[in-house]
Amino acid sequence: MPPQLLIARNFRSNALKNRAVYLLILFIGILITYAVITSWSGFVKQNESTAHHQTETRHDWLDNPDKHPHRMAHYGNFAFRPKAPLSIFDSGMESFFGNTIFLEAHKQNSVNFSEAGFSTGMLRFGEISVAMVLQILLPLLLFFIGFTSIAAERENGTLKIILTQGISWKQLILGKIIGLAQIAMGVFVPVMLVTFVLWFFLQDGHITSDETVRLLLVFLSYGIYLLLFCVIAVLVSAASKTSKSALISLIGLWLMLTIVLPRASQALGSYLYPAPVKVTFLANIEKDVLKEGDSHNPDDIHYKALKDSLLTAYGVDSTSQLPFNYSGFVMAEGEKISARIYNSHFDNLLRVYDAQNSFLKATAFLDPFVAIKNLSMSLAGTDYRTYTDFQKQAEAYRYAMAQKMNELQIKYISNKKPGPDEKPVVIDQKHWEEVPEFKYVQPMVNTVFEHETTSFFALLFWIGLLYFMIEILSKELKVN
Amino acid sequence: MFKLAFKNFLSSSGVKIGIAFLIITGLVSLVVGNQFLAKQAENVEATAAYQKAHISKNVQYHPDELGLLLYYVKFSLVNQTEPINSLSIGQRDVNPSIQSVTIRGLEGQKYDADLQNPSNLLLGNIDFSFVLIYLFPLFIIAFTYNIISEERESGTWKIAAVQSSNLFGLILKLFTVRFLVVVFTLFLTLFLAVIFLKIPLNTRFWLFGGVSFLYILFWFALSFWVASMSKSSSYNAVTLLSAWILLIIVLPAMVNSYLVSAYPVPEAMETTVKQRNGYHEKWDMDKKATIDKFYNHYPQFKTFGYPKEDFNWLWYYAMQQMGDDEAASESKALREKLEMRNRASTRIASFIPSVHMQIQLNEIAGSGLSNQLRFMDETGRFHEQLRLQFYPAIFKESPASSQQWEKFEIENFSDNSMTSATSAALPLVVAILLFSVLGWVRFRTMVS
Repeated sequence: MPPQLLIARNFRSNALKNRAVYLLILFIGILITYAVITSWSGFVKQNESTAHHQTETRHDWLDNPDKHPHRMAHYGNFAFRPKAPLSIFDSGMESFFGNTIFLEAHKQNSVNFSEAGFSTGMLRFGEISVAMVLQILLPLLLFFIGFTSIAAERENGTLKIILTQGISWKQLILGKIIGLAQIAMGVFVPVMLVTFVLWFFLQDGHITSDETVRLLLVFLSYGIYLLLFCVIAVLVSAASKTSKSALISLIGLWLMLTIVLPRASQALGSYLYPAPVKVTFLANIEKDVLKEGDSHNPDDIHYKALKDSLLTAYGVDSTSQLPFNYSGFVMAEGEKISARIYNSHFDNLLRVYDAQNSFLKATAFLDPFVAIKNLSMSLAGTDYRTYTDFQKQAEAYRYAMAQKMNELQIKYISNKKPGPDEKPVVIDQKHWEEVPEFKYVQPMVNTVFEHETTSFFALLFWIGLLYFMIEILSKELKVN
Repeated sequence: MFKLAFKNFLSSSGVKIGIAFLIITGLVSLVVGNQFLAKQAENVEATAAYQKAHISKNVQYHPDELGLLLYYVKFSLVNQTEPINSLSIGQRDVNPSIQSVTIRGLEGQKYDADLQNPSNLLLGNIDFSFVLIYLFPLFIIAFTYNIISEERESGTWKIAAVQSSNLFGLILKLFTVRFLVVVFTLFLTLFLAVIFLKIPLNTRFWLFGGVSFLYILFWFALSFWVASMSKSSSYNAVTLLSAWILLIIVLPAMVNSYLVSAYPVPEAMETTVKQRNGYHEKWDMDKKATIDKFYNHYPQFKTFGYPKEDFNWLWYYAMQQMGDDEAASESKALREKLEMRNRASTRIASFIPSVHMQIQLNEIAGSGLSNQLRFMDETGRFHEQLRLQFYPAIFKESPASSQQWEKFEIENFSDNSMTSATSAALPLVVAILLFSVLGWVRFRTMVS
């Protein structure tokens, strides 16, 4: 057996002699079980309620009697946001996202009812999920086990003996890393098996290749992440004079990586790139829309030009002589303008948010925790990108619905307003079917590669950096 | 003797760095708080300006039809941000501090979410409450985990034990020195906050400072108890850190997911759907029936009778009213569910000092869920008052000029309810007494 593996076996069996290690592993196991049960029930509840309301409101829509299409455009539709299957693994930003959006003509409503809005201050301490345990608690457990790995040998004087027996520093370090990694995998692999089983059953066996790729990438990236912490633990222990100082350094490092750095870099980003407040955001949209054309203003240049060109084209002298419904035409034009302007403002807002988040993203090169956090949320479909994708799909649906109703109005509603005693103009309810049901489609996994390139590279960078550190320390380390 | 103990403690470079780190992060939290206040103020200012321009523009566009004009016009109510709010931002970054509503159905408007970057929310603010609740305990642990164990490990404890006639007094003194230094850091930060953020020195502030002091004392009591078990420095460090993780990371997260699953709020989606249907379906129903229901709600308007026109604003607003009326029971259930959540979380928190602190600081600063609920209630009153004010003029078909529009400026809601000092302090006092007595008893038996 090569010496590294002997050292690894020795380290592992020594570490596992400690009863406290079992207690901690048991504790982590209980936490994961709790996390799995609550996120499972949350997932089932939310998706049932989402599906129920989506179907119910679809029926409501179809059940509408004959009426004016513009009434239907205001009757509107709802989009309810379903949870992604992997949200049972990493709840990510889920709690901060809205779940319900009302879609109607002329107006981009907000996505309401986030869990955070209903929360007491408690949510801010963070949420429990399998990902949280793997990202935060398991590395600390590895530090608790790994801090003695080499420093204790140095204190006991056994280090000298090992090195004089013809074992190189590199073999010693690698051996300890392998031993620690075996313990890490002993926790990680069962957790992943449980995740796999849950994930499989949550999708009722309809597994897409996209979801599979996501899950495999989750396995791979967390495997790498945990290995990084094994390496860090052993290297810090190797560089410390005593186990106590190794422990204190590792605890300090853990606090920096998981608590201080992420918050600090995000705070810096949001400090440097202030985002607009809602009232200003909406007022700017309104201003731009009015600049382009104000359909309420009889003297508006844009709409006057539109009217004149229509009158000339059809050779008539008033809009009531046009062969189609003029006010439907004007609304279609208004919807087109306001939707375009809204989308461009919304994209600008997203750019500000991206700038705010850019510091955190870059911090991944200083902090592997940030890399895995961003990557994991993105793979699980619980990151902001996936959410804005939902918002955009809802907006696209809203726009298509509003324009469909305008189109029906243009086509079927008479240009002549009914008199006070005449029946109001309506169209047949069979048309309501022409608007399809809203179905949210989760973005494909390749969007993760686009948006999380930094995180991927940061993980690769960390592998390289630590490999390099092992090489250097193997040459530079002293026995005392 | 004390002077020497101070000198000894402060001579360590680690301690100096630690204190400097606390003060710097404290200052950062004040800058963050200041930016938060500035943003709130900017928001209020922009809303006030917008409301003014928005009203005059709409009055100009719709001078003859008050019903149509008020279809568009939004009125804003501001949940006032007190300067002390910036020390504990709480839920104020999630929930909007301004509600802008038209006199149409309230249920379709009052839950409108604010614009925000969820990454900021997820990672949380570096406000003063974060520095106090997360970081202060870490440094208390760092300053105290090896108080006796280190000397025992290096062999100097025996000498001290022989030389000192009052060993327990010596232990107490070592703790007191560290306690005073940390408390000084806390008060210095609060003092700077008062000056920099112009926080008025009222009951709120003193209560805020008082519970912060108790929280520091709690961690010292805990560390005192751990030290009394006379284990190794590494053991103490791991024990105290585990307590920190349990109190700051694990327990809050577990309790939160318990609350979410124990008090789910399906009423939220139901309210919205009910409101939409309650209003919209009336377009296809008998007008008289809708107006009759409206008159049942507001008998005082019965004199307006049943207008003959095919479309009239009385009927329109009656339909809007039906949206609210038909969603009323769901809306009320939602409100009660949130109240239950709030009560349950306050109750559970009293057993977890860290969570208790966060909730109490939010309460004191007016940034917690209860403040949000009161603000929502006030929004309801504000909206109702606007309706009652405008309805007669709309039904009479008065022109826009019949109203004094310049009177309609944004209104403020200031939350005057105060948490009781007892409920804020008692759980901490109990925990402090528990750990100090436990520690004291152990030390006594050890020393004697």
